[in-house]
Order: sequence, then C-alpha cells, then structure tokens
Amino acid sequence: MPPMSKEDDRARDEFTGEAEELLDTLSRDLVELESQGRKVRPEVINKIFREVHSLKGLAGMLGFGEISELSHSLEDMLDRLRMGKIEITKDLIDLLYDAVDSLNRLVIGINDPTMGGLVDITGLTRRIHQLTTSQPRRAHEDPFAELTLDEQTKKSLTEYEEHRLLENVKGRKHILAVEVRFDFSDFDEKLRALTATLGEAGEVISTLPAIDSSGGAGIAFRLLYGSTLQEDAVAALVPEGQVVSLRKAKSPASGAREVIAVEVPEEDLSLRSISQTVRVDISKLDHVMNIVGELIIEKTQLDSLTRSLHQGEALQQARLTAHELTKIARNFDRKLNELQKSVIETRMVPVGQIYSKLSRTVRKVARELNKEIELVLRGEDTELDKVMVEELTDPLMHIIRNALDHGIESAEERARKGKNPIGKVTLNAYQQGNSVVLDVTDDGRGIDPELVRKSAVKRNLIAQHDPFDQQRAYEMLFTPGFSTAAAVSEISGRGVGLDVVKKNLQDLKGSIDILSVPGEGATFRIMLPITLAIIQALIVRAAGEQFAIPLTSVEESLRIYSRDIRTVERREVFTLRDFTLPLLRLADAFHLDGHRDETPDSKWFVVVTRSGEKVAGILVDELVRQQEVVIKSIGERLKTIPGIAGATEVGEGEIVLVIDVGTLIDQFGGKAREARAAVLA
Amino acid sequence: MRAYLTTIIEGGTESFDLEIVEAASGFEALKTLPHHKFDAILTDINMPDINGLELVSFLKNHPVHRSIPIMVISTESREEDRKRAAALGAEEYLVKPFQAKDLIEKLRRLLKVA
Repeated sequence: MPPMSKEDDRARDEFTGEAEELLDTLSRDLVELESQGRKVRPEVINKIFREVHSLKGLAGMLGFGEISELSHSLEDMLDRLRMGKIEITKDLIDLLYDAVDSLNRLVIGINDPTMGGLVDITGLTRRIHQLTTSQPRRAHEDPFAELTLDEQTKKSLTEYEEHRLLENVKGRKHILAVEVRFDFSDFDEKLRALTATLGEAGEVISTLPAIDSSGGAGIAFRLLYGSTLQEDAVAALVPEGQVVSLRKAKSPASGAREVIAVEVPEEDLSLRSISQTVRVDISKLDHVMNIVGELIIEKTQLDSLTRSLHQGEALQQARLTAHELTKIARNFDRKLNELQKSVIETRMVPVGQIYSKLSRTVRKVARELNKEIELVLRGEDTELDKVMVEELTDPLMHIIRNALDHGIESAEERARKGKNPIGKVTLNAYQQGNSVVLDVTDDGRGIDPELVRKSAVKRNLIAQHDPFDQQRAYEMLFTPGFSTAAAVSEISGRGVGLDVVKKNLQDLKGSIDILSVPGEGATFRIMLPITLAIIQALIVRAAGEQFAIPLTSVEESLRIYSRDIRTVERREVFTLRDFTLPLLRLADAFHLDGHRDETPDSKWFVVVTRSGEKVAGILVDELVRQQEVVIKSIGERLKTIPGIAGATEVGEGEIVLVIDVGTLIDQFGGKAREARAAVLA
Repeated sequence: MRAYLTTIIEGGTESFDLEIVEAASGFEALKTLPHHKFDAILTDINMPDINGLELVSFLKNHPVHRSIPIMVISTESREEDRKRAAALGAEEYLVKPFQAKDLIEKLRRLLKVA
C-alpha cells in the first residue's frame, strides 16, 4: 500500500491523472491493434509497449505495487511481441484488453478502494507468463551481414531498432540511408512530416542526428529506412536529401535485381505462415453490399412503422412500444453504419494504384511529342472505390494526354515566353468531404476563350455572334466533335473527345470542371463520390411524386413564395442573396402532370444543388426527410432520360427516382458560381 | 516520470544550485541544447522521435556539447543497450527501477561535486 502523507496525496493525484491518461491512449491503441491484427504497423505495438513501460515506471516510483507488478509482466510480454518473439493472436489481444481493464480498475481503486479489490492480479500475471513463455526464443541473427552500415549508426540502434532492421532485411525490403538537413528552427516539424511520408511506404527504423557539416546553423539527420520503394523512388520523395542503398551488392556477375524480384513472394510465404491480406472477388463484396442495402430498406420500414405508432391515437402501451422501437431502430442504425463503413473500406483502394500506369504513359507520350515533361504525382494514398479507380484510368489518361499535347508548349515556345523549358504536369488527389477530387494541372498555354470561340464557329457549333464567355468556352470543350488543335495529332486522337471523358465521369456520378488562366496553364478538376453504393439523400415531393436528391449535391434548401420567382430571358430565376439562381421544375424536366394552381402566395421549397462549379435551384413542393438510400440501376428505357441516376426503395415498397444532379443541370441549365480560380496561383 | 525525476533531483541537490530543464522527447532535447550551458544530461533510452543512444551519439560527436557528461537511464533487461551507451561515450548508466539516493550519487559524480 502506498504511504499516505500530505505530500503523497499530491503525488497520488498526479499519478492517477497521468495513469488514467496513459490507459486511455492505451485502450485506443489496442483497438487499432485488434482491428489490424497482424497487419498492424510495428510502431503501434511499440507505442503500446512504451505506454505500458511508462505506466510501470510511474507506478514503481510511487509505490503502487500491484499496478507496477501487473504492468511489469505486461511490459515483458509486449517487449517480446515487438521483438517478434511472440505472435499476435486472439488470446493475446483478449489478454491485453483484460489487463488494461484491470489496470483501469486498480487506478480507480486508488481513490475508491471498492474497485481495486475486484482485480485478480495473480490470475492475470499467470496468463501473461504462460503466453510470454509459450513460444521459443529465436536464435540471434545478424541484421548487418548484408548491409554496409556505418559504425556510428550501428552503435546507436537500440535492441528494438536492431530487431526492426532485421525484420526489414528478412522481408526483402530495400534498406536505405536517407540523409537530410534542416534549419534548426523547425527541424522537428520537417522531420516529423518526412517520417510520416516515408512511413507510408515503409518503416523509419532509426533517426540519427548529426552536426550540420555544411557549416550552417542547421542540423542533419541520417534515417535508416526499410521500404518497398527503390532508392530512386525514395530520392524522389525526399528531393532535399540524399538517399543511399545500404544493401551490399550481390556477386558482381549476377543480374541481382531481377532475381530478387522473382524471389520475393516465396520469401514472404516462408516468413509468414498466415497471409496478411485476402483477395476478394469484387462481386462477392457487391453481394455483401446488397445485403447491407436490403438491411437499410428493412430499417426504413422499421422507422416508418415507429413513426405511425408515435402518431397514432394509441394507448399508453403503444407509446411505450413506439419508444422501445425507436431505441431498437437507433441501435440497428449504429450497427448498420458500422457494417456499411467496414464494407466500404474493404472496397477502397488508393488511387496511387494507377499512378505508375500514368507515369509510364506520360514518359511515352512526352517522348513521342518530343517534349520534356516533369510529372508530379500527389495524394497517392487518397482512397476511392476499387471499381471507380479502374473506371477512372481512361478519363485521367485522356486529360493528361491532352495537357501534354495541347497544354504544354514546345520547349522553344516555352523558352520564348520565359517559362521553364521543361513542362510540368501535376496530378493531385485529395478527399473533400464525401468526394474525392483529382486535379490535373499543367503549366502550359491555358485555355484562351477567343480561340475556342473561333474554333466553335468554324465547326458550326455556335453562330458568329452568339454570346460567349470563359464558362461557355469551357463547356464547348466538352461538346462532341470539338477540337482546337490545329492539326489533330496522334496523341490526343480524333475519335474520342473530352465529351466522352465527361460522360464517363458522369456515369460515375462525378463531374469535371476547368480552371484556367490563359498563358499560365489549366487545371481539369474531377470530383467523384467516394463510393456509389449507398448515399445520403434528401427525399422531396414534386408534382405529386417523390424524388431522392443525393445530399452531396445539395448546398442548402430554403422556402420561397411564387411571387419571389422572376423570369429573366425566359428562364425562371430567384435572387439568392446577391446571386441570380436559375430554377428548374422537376415537372418540366420529366414531363410530369400535376401542375398545381399557383398564386403569388404559393409556397415552394428551393433545393440549391451543385454539380462541379455550377448551381441551380430545384423547385419542390415538400421536403420529406433525409435518409440513406441504396441506388439500384433502372431499366434501359429510363437510363436514357437525363437527370435520373437510378431508383431506390424508401420503405414500404415505395419506389422513388434518384436525381442525377450533374446531367439535370447540364440539360436544363445551371450557372457557375464562385469559380475557384486560385488554383493556378 | 520526468516530474518524478525532477522532484528527486531537486530534493537531493538542495546544497548546490541546480537549474533543471526538462525535455519531453528527443527532438525537444535537441531544441533546448543551444539555449543552455548544461553541466550534465540525463536521458532515457526509449523515447519518442529519437532514442537516447542517438542523442548520446549526437552529443558526443558535437564540437561544443561533447564535453557534457551524460547519464543514461534505462531498464535492467537491456544489457545490450547499456553496452552501446558506454561505447558511444555515456559516462554513467542507471538501471530502472532505482533508489533516489543512487540517482543523486551518480549525478554528483557526473557533476564532480562532493
């Protein structure tokens, strides 16, 4: 029992505070460990080890014997775990949870003795001991045998780091030294960022600081890095640093690289008995996703049943039942969300998967065009539904080819304009809310509206004096049969134009927009929903029918009167703050009856929708509710109607059409607002 | 842990005027270096950002800081780490768990105060 003087009171309070905090992070890390199993990053295990280690130290110093004892044996076990001497098993994870739970009780027990007594330390330590000694120690292996590693780095490795190095060597990873130099003022930020970047494609095993040999006021670091990436790929990630491979060359005559590449899978198999990933046929995942979809429909019915019970002139008992039902529905909802999320996650792949394909194309095309191009790829970890990533390859390829062919000028022309003769194309992927954005930016000649106009007139796409502006020019580029290149080249081809790209993206419920400053370059911005399977939708009623509008396309909704609707150039509009919002009626768009008698006092709801940079207001009679819907495809006949994405069931077997805001706006008119042109700055 | 160390050291070194600077990680330790003229450095081996051995390696190769005596504090089970600390030039090694008087004794030795 810890001593209890006044001074100790303070120490005790400090201890419980710090211990609770430690146990809290520990619990969160355990969740990560459990969810990732053997795939877990070694850092996570090491972090858990360190947390238990700190707790042990803390408890030991302050004389909390039981906590110290329990965390000590736990630390032993975790040490073996991080050293690869024991494996992650379900038993081990259960044991960790039990132990952390007991530690929590013990800490609470310091101030509330009724809690601490419930902990069976002996049982736990016995279990820990059994697990710790269940697996034989492995013979010591020398991680340095195949490496050219300097003495200073060798000596500065802790046993743990040496173990990690060995694991990387055995895993046939490229072992690299990455040397960087930073200003002293912000080296910690810079280095943490670099470590995070490198961590995505490997493991930073150690970080050795050194004096800045350039004589400046900076500080140098030598990172020991195990990675799937080769030397030059890592060098591209660390442009400011130096990257050296530490593997000793094999026998001089061997074409060592190819041989190693073939050996890899076998090595991996022999090292790990259980594979860390499962390849799943996407159709199976589709099936699971359909089940989730059906569950959602069931749940919707449960909801509507509950609603009717609530509203009914029912007895007290019915109200109670309704209350219970609500609770069940809520839990159901939570579980469903979890299931949905995890299924969606299994479908997600990083867009980086197609990057290597793209960079090959760029190299090839650049050679054919005799242009020097620097391709910058960013955000390769951004995740997207597997199906979409595949569907995205062609449109992206097309846009990038266009940028190389039409966007980037010849080296001579660039030099004349005072630009870097090497053209630059950047592909940047990032997530924005529920969408993934892909920006293809080139620093070429940009899009000149006047050139576009002339070309469009020549092709009889517009008349000589039709009103024309930048936005119109961008739209023109996506019109079938349009091309501004003086001579249609091999590269961009003739048959397929940007109209097809746009169509492909719209099929994926995505949009494409252009931002350009003539003379400086252009950005093609693709926006896609993260997944197509399930969406949040706003259910509305218009012309006597219900429709679902995907919430990702909805900016806001507001209530207006008929007298607020004005007609400008034969279009109905509404002044939203200082913006003239074009309005569209679903009854007109889909040729429905059900026009209602309108007086100036008739009330409407306007759902302000956006597709890319364009907005339009949809006039509806009623906002019914917001709910998750599963989009089902509809028959061939309906497919051709612009503005319809599919159908969905909204409970009690009622089918409603899901609106495709992108094609609806394209077909019936929207207006650009807040074009984000700053991208090129 | 750091707070506890500080408390022990403050308690055990009242006779001589000691200013204690704490750093929560290897990076913090590096950052605080230019701002002080340290008479001794105590470091754990297991710490975030850079480990204690790397810190010793850096200090012992530094033209200005190489003369600062260092005490490495670490767990008993790490015999290998202890050898490496010595090989890198750390002057003292303290094994956890330790008695307050051991820490003070070693610290006095490090500071060359009687």
